[in-house]
Amino acid sequence: MGDLTPEVQRIAGNLLSQGQVDLVLGWAKAPSNGQSVPACIRQAEQAGRLIFDQYCIHNLATGLLDHRDSSERIGIFVKGCDSRGIVRLAEDGQFPRERLYIVGICCPGMKDQAACDRAASGLFGETAGDSELAGKCRQCAHPNPVIYDELLGDQQPPFLNDVRFSDVQRIEAMGIGERGEFFSQIFSKCIRCYACRNICVACNCRQCIFDETRPQWVGRSTSAADNMMYHAFRAMHVAGRCVECGECERVCPAGLPLMLLNRKLIKDIDQLFGPYEAGLSLEEGARPPLSSYRVEDPDPFVR
Amino acid sequence: MKSFAKSAITVVLDRLAEQTRTYVPMRDGVTSNFSPWSERRASDLALNSLNTTFSPKGIVFPQTERLYDFAVDGQRADISGTHAETGENILFGARACDRKAFAALDQVFLRRGYVDTNYKARRDGLTVIGRDCLQPGPFCFCDSMGVDPMGADGADVLLHETTEEFGWEPLTEKGQALTLRLNDLLTEKELIRPESAGCRLEVNVAGLPEKLRGMFDSPVWDELSTFCMNCGVCTYICPVCHCFDIQVMNNGSSGCRFRCWDSCMYPEYNLMAGGHNPREGKRDRFRNRFLHKLEFFQERYGSFGCSGCGRCLVTCPHSLNMVLVINRLGEVKVDAS
Repeated sequence: MGDLTPEVQRIAGNLLSQGQVDLVLGWAKAPSNGQSVPACIRQAEQAGRLIFDQYCIHNLATGLLDHRDSSERIGIFVKGCDSRGIVRLAEDGQFPRERLYIVGICCPGMKDQAACDRAASGLFGETAGDSELAGKCRQCAHPNPVIYDELLGDQQPPFLNDVRFSDVQRIEAMGIGERGEFFSQIFSKCIRCYACRNICVACNCRQCIFDETRPQWVGRSTSAADNMMYHAFRAMHVAGRCVECGECERVCPAGLPLMLLNRKLIKDIDQLFGPYEAGLSLEEGARPPLSSYRVEDPDPFVR
Repeated sequence: MKSFAKSAITVVLDRLAEQTRTYVPMRDGVTSNFSPWSERRASDLALNSLNTTFSPKGIVFPQTERLYDFAVDGQRADISGTHAETGENILFGARACDRKAFAALDQVFLRRGYVDTNYKARRDGLTVIGRDCLQPGPFCFCDSMGVDPMGADGADVLLHETTEEFGWEPLTEKGQALTLRLNDLLTEKELIRPESAGCRLEVNVAGLPEKLRGMFDSPVWDELSTFCMNCGVCTYICPVCHCFDIQVMNNGSSGCRFRCWDSCMYPEYNLMAGGHNPREGKRDRFRNRFLHKLEFFQERYGSFGCSGCGRCLVTCPHSLNMVLVINRLGEVKVDAS
């Protein structure tokens, strides 16, 4: 992939100077340490700050939620996974397509700056090295944007090094007791910081069930039961809507394999109600499988 | 100076753990934390790691802490005891930043009138074995926050680290007591204490609290908080953050009341009875967190609510952190009028 930064800057500059959009969401280098971080610019003169490199791992689509109540038009740069996030928001009625100018970037796969930092920091046990593709990119089936007004870069092949759902199959092969033990162990380490929820593009409810106090649906203690409840609730809430961007797993400070549950549901929904993959195209009136009903929906559980 | 060979570390830890639960830095999969030492987990011992992913604050201030149980039977209500832990614990290998954080927690829970009995019980029962910090990491900035990486503050014993040895310097009565328990394992030896390489990362906090008094309405807070997601990562991995909530677990006719960590980043944290939320937007919550650490805490206790441990620099999902914020606040021009 050639350096797309000049293109990114040119497009952002034009969008702003021609008044096509009010602001642009992209990536820039943090002044303090030169890391790639999300950026929001409002003037064409700031377009020179924007960049695109292998560390632009953040899904910017979630950031659109901050603007859902405004009427501003927004230019946004998206990779394959991020573009599915935009379909997610549009389909969920959270952000109108008309207010967006989408610049798609065919994604060559990202590196995880935070993982590199953790490795260098001495704060973490085992971490991925700098040269490796980010964990969330290693099971990517759709590196190319699915919705855009303009496309940058060359089409990329999927990065499925492993058999799709091989991780899920390993869990499915466990007995119920073993599986229960496996997930209890994992979720016992959750610190309930809600980073996985807040970074999630499918978690776009204005009032989250986990923040409600009357009634309080899930207890606030970090006990096995409450933690398990939190993760099971969340997985079921995003079932059929998760666009597999992997941000939840990327941001988890406890390093929990959060995509396991999501992928299990993606696999099941595809088999039961599919073929279906969330957020691959934006169609008028389309609803995710668990948000709609068809007479032929399988119901073997009804006796 | 008394010392023991690094190769004898498990013998020393075994001896300490014989009588007292001894928290040591341990790997836990991709993360690390201070966990009770046991021979069984010897291979997880992470004495060479710089800091632990999660700070040791949970030892004196657990994330979830049961306060008391209750049971109701008709008109009768029984409260059955408290669960404050009074046992002895040892924290082995705490670096200066984490000990500074304990000092900050002490200010909050012990020193200003109200004494938190649960915290006090845990704190009084804790013996802290500190260690020199010879090679602060790329994200450490403790010396900018007034912490000496080689200092002895907050330690009952300080370990001086050389290539082969740990020098053992008892500093308090608690430290002397531990020395007696280890006496036959310690040998008298001349140790040359290496100097710390010091922190490579620096921030300038001179005059910051005073400057911040005039910055409550600065547009810089909108700019800085643009990509803050209001998750609680920074607050929960921070060794100084100490906000909590009191909650009830109700199982019908019985249950318990417990205390749990809370985060000023959460909307619910700021929600008042009646439904008003004085910090409605994320800008408001973000500003409060940093003003608390850099202005209010300093005004009330005379030190910053940050010990420069660097944990938030590597865990924020959008790379926001204390250093970035301090630098940006420093750049902003404030109108003197």
